[in-house]
Amino acid sequence: MTAPWRKAIRDFRNERARTVMVVLAIAAGIAAFSTVMSSYAILVRELDRGYLETNPASATLWTDKVDQQLLADVRARTPVSDAEARRTVRARVKAGPMAWKTLMLFVVADYGDIRVSVLKPQSGAWPPKRGELLIERDAFQVAKTKVGERVLVRTSDGTQRELRVAGSVHDVGQAQARMENAVYGYVTLETLADLGEEPYLDELKILAATNRYDEAHVRRVADEVRSYVESRGHAVRRMDVPRPGKHPHADLMGMLLLSMSSFGMFILLLSGIVVVNLLTALMASQVRQIGVMKAVGGTRAQIARIYFVQALLLGIAAVAVAIPLGMWGTRLLCRQQARFLNFDIASFSVPLWVYLLDALVGIVVPLLAAAWPVWKGSGVSVREALADYGVSANRFGIGAFDRLLTNVGGLARPTLLAIRNSFRRRTRMVLTVITLAAGGLFFMAALNVRASLIRTLDGLFGQRNYDLSVSFASMVELDALARAARATPGIARSEGWIASEGSIGGGHVVVLAVPSDTKMLSPRISAGRWFQKGDVEVLVVNSALASRDSRIRLGNVVDLGQVSGKVIGISREPFAPPVAYVLRKPGRVNNLKLDLLQTDPDSINRVKAALEKNLEREGLRAVASQSNADSRIGFDEHMLMLYVFLMVVAAVIVLVGGLGLMTTMSLNVLERRREMGVLRAIGATPSAVWLIVAAEGAVIGLMSWALAAAAAWPVSRFTGSVLIGRMSRGGLDFVFEPAGLLIWLAAAIGLSVIASFLPAWHASRGAVAEALMYE
Amino acid sequence: MIELTRITKTYATAAGEFVALRDVDVTIGKGELVAVVGKSGSGKSTLLNVIGGIDTPTSGAVLVGGADIRKLSANALARWRGRNVGFVFQFFQLLPTLTSAENVMLPMDFSGAIPARERRKRALALLDRVGVIEQADKLPSALSGGQQQRVAIARALANEPGVVLADEPTGNLDTATARAVLDLFRSMASSGTTVILATHERDIAGIIDRTIELEDGRVMVAR
Repeated sequence: MTAPWRKAIRDFRNERARTVMVVLAIAAGIAAFSTVMSSYAILVRELDRGYLETNPASATLWTDKVDQQLLADVRARTPVSDAEARRTVRARVKAGPMAWKTLMLFVVADYGDIRVSVLKPQSGAWPPKRGELLIERDAFQVAKTKVGERVLVRTSDGTQRELRVAGSVHDVGQAQARMENAVYGYVTLETLADLGEEPYLDELKILAATNRYDEAHVRRVADEVRSYVESRGHAVRRMDVPRPGKHPHADLMGMLLLSMSSFGMFILLLSGIVVVNLLTALMASQVRQIGVMKAVGGTRAQIARIYFVQALLLGIAAVAVAIPLGMWGTRLLCRQQARFLNFDIASFSVPLWVYLLDALVGIVVPLLAAAWPVWKGSGVSVREALADYGVSANRFGIGAFDRLLTNVGGLARPTLLAIRNSFRRRTRMVLTVITLAAGGLFFMAALNVRASLIRTLDGLFGQRNYDLSVSFASMVELDALARAARATPGIARSEGWIASEGSIGGGHVVVLAVPSDTKMLSPRISAGRWFQKGDVEVLVVNSALASRDSRIRLGNVVDLGQVSGKVIGISREPFAPPVAYVLRKPGRVNNLKLDLLQTDPDSINRVKAALEKNLEREGLRAVASQSNADSRIGFDEHMLMLYVFLMVVAAVIVLVGGLGLMTTMSLNVLERRREMGVLRAIGATPSAVWLIVAAEGAVIGLMSWALAAAAAWPVSRFTGSVLIGRMSRGGLDFVFEPAGLLIWLAAAIGLSVIASFLPAWHASRGAVAEALMYE
Repeated sequence: MIELTRITKTYATAAGEFVALRDVDVTIGKGELVAVVGKSGSGKSTLLNVIGGIDTPTSGAVLVGGADIRKLSANALARWRGRNVGFVFQFFQLLPTLTSAENVMLPMDFSGAIPARERRKRALALLDRVGVIEQADKLPSALSGGQQQRVAIARALANEPGVVLADEPTGNLDTATARAVLDLFRSMASSGTTVILATHERDIAGIIDRTIELEDGRVMVAR
């Protein structure tokens, strides 16, 4: 090994504590990057694999009835490789003493011959016998039941029957039950008949025979099947063609992973800043040695190589630490994502290219970060280098800014010393402040995005002046509903609506018919106007619907299938599905909106129970009832996930920033060891020296807070609009959380003092005589 | 009164044990101006450090003004040093981010011996005494070497210490400035402060009261 290599390795080893800090800072960045890249590779592979293993339907058609003959005929058609009939029935399941949850009952004719959208048995019995049901594994916590227990199920005609929970299944293609706050149950046709429903199937799930991932082809096949089914005398009331081969939540996951990748890269960049700081200080402290090396014949390139080798060693050490950390992070993230999206991960194996990329990034980032300080440091002339008489040269006071700082008075000398010392290595200080401020920024952004989400959701739910929504399977007389509502204690007022479904451009639209003078809605009209008396054939659409199709514009006549009309207004409803409001005609309705006197869960359950009895007296039965609080649970779950994600990102950035500050403070202390000795010699106690160093750290923390505070508003707004705004299709009601400023102020100062603790401790404990001799 | 009895100081080095001081016995009276001379590595700085409590002897006793400084904790020693000893270094060692007056006030801040409202007044008086009052509000970077050393001397006198220890105080100054600084030390000693200089200067016989000559850590001559 040549002398330059030996020097590189020994210098690296001699500064163990600082090297460890920098290696940890870089490792945190690479680990974050590795976690995101590995998770991306695993999740995309596993989500698609898990979903495709179920043989997902290319298209689903809803008709009046699918009998065995129709099914066999469809299966025999050339463009279709397979088909299966199913049915979905909406019912309710008792999930507590007074709580009824929505139950989506999926009816399968033959559990031994599931060909399309396959279910995976998880535990318990398979297939379910008559009088039994299987529950989707994610829905158990909503249903509050276990395998082997009996649950009470009520269908729309009021039939109530206990079913035994025979087992648990995994239905990969379903939205998570927790998020939907609904229970997914799976029964046979016989059980359906026992529940008072007619035992027939009306959904036709088909698989395209060829080009299964070509959406245009799949649509052509679905259209052909639709024509065929209609030619057999069965009206097709709805057809759904999902994106071929893609899990329904693939886009959501892709967006989350994309955001994570951006944050991973950002953390890596911050780690690079820590390396810049370390190597700049290293080069400054090695000026004399560089001079000597040059004097004995070393060229600039040869000398630069020594320090590049050190950067390389830092990178290699960081990669060695980061890869196991990244693997651990990957498992954590993948498990969390898989749980969130309700799918299984069969293998955590990471492709070789991810490891190679991690290693490449881990080695290249420190080398890039080292480039400028090393090249600049190695360029010093022999004369300059040998004339350098130490790192504590009296350079402070030459610039105008220094003189300005000197005018800052009114504080104790030790405090002044700490403040002015912070500004001695300005580039280092600025880089450290930026790194630390980035952590604060994301912390505050997380709080602000959370507060904005809450306000946005408050705004959405604030438009709804009802507390409880009761649905009926068919149209019922409004007068009868009104009588039942009036007879029920706890209801302030009621209103009947009609909820139906329309479609435009292949997408579904919720169509709500409301009275023109509705008291149950206070829409936030962003363009146009709300209904007025005398309006005919007019529509008000919500922001989600308006953003879906360019034809949906104010003044245009829009055809939604069942209804059509001129668009007169756009209502801002972030996070809501596409909705069109039309005017309700007097007479019959299928939805009852209730404004309650008390809205705590017990009061709502009491109203539900009493209303049910009063409806029965009128000969009516509700198929579902949902309170606003229930509707909001799904939103809150999504919001929590996003908030946790932002907080985790902020924590990693804060960690890198803290390590950066620790490196900076240890460099500052090292460079000023002689000054520390002087302070001790003139009577400063160890604790006084500790305080001066810690106060210097706190000054840096304070500056990082100020920078983060100044940038928090625009960055939070930008983060909110990128992460949430697009998803909400109605914008975000941005709100700035002032408490975030105070919390981060305390955190920044606390973190700075913690990061300064060790360097300050070393500064205060070293031997005075040694410190005075230090150059 | 400073009394050093059988002081030995050894350092462990890679090459083995290095003895900086060997059985040194020295007594220095109040108001004396003493020069400690000797070659590089003879133990001059170590001797000053032991007297000032910034280094501890391996064996032997150190009494400064009646205080056995070996028995003091790190905090107590720092407080004692702040009130009783003033240091002057070869490279001045002013804190670069504090002005001259602030540098002088800093030991007063640490010791708390001088009431806060009197500190600036006293600092200015000391700077006036050493002849750099015009530089009171300047940063060290704006001062010449001689001016910096005068500020350093003023700082050493901040808490009216009984002892001033100066390690090569003129080593970095031109002849005229060095002479002026030595005159300052003479006047300090004449007013009752014990001043001990570690120096290479040869032409100081007319200024100092006596000389302690060290060679390889031993006191060779005490004149």
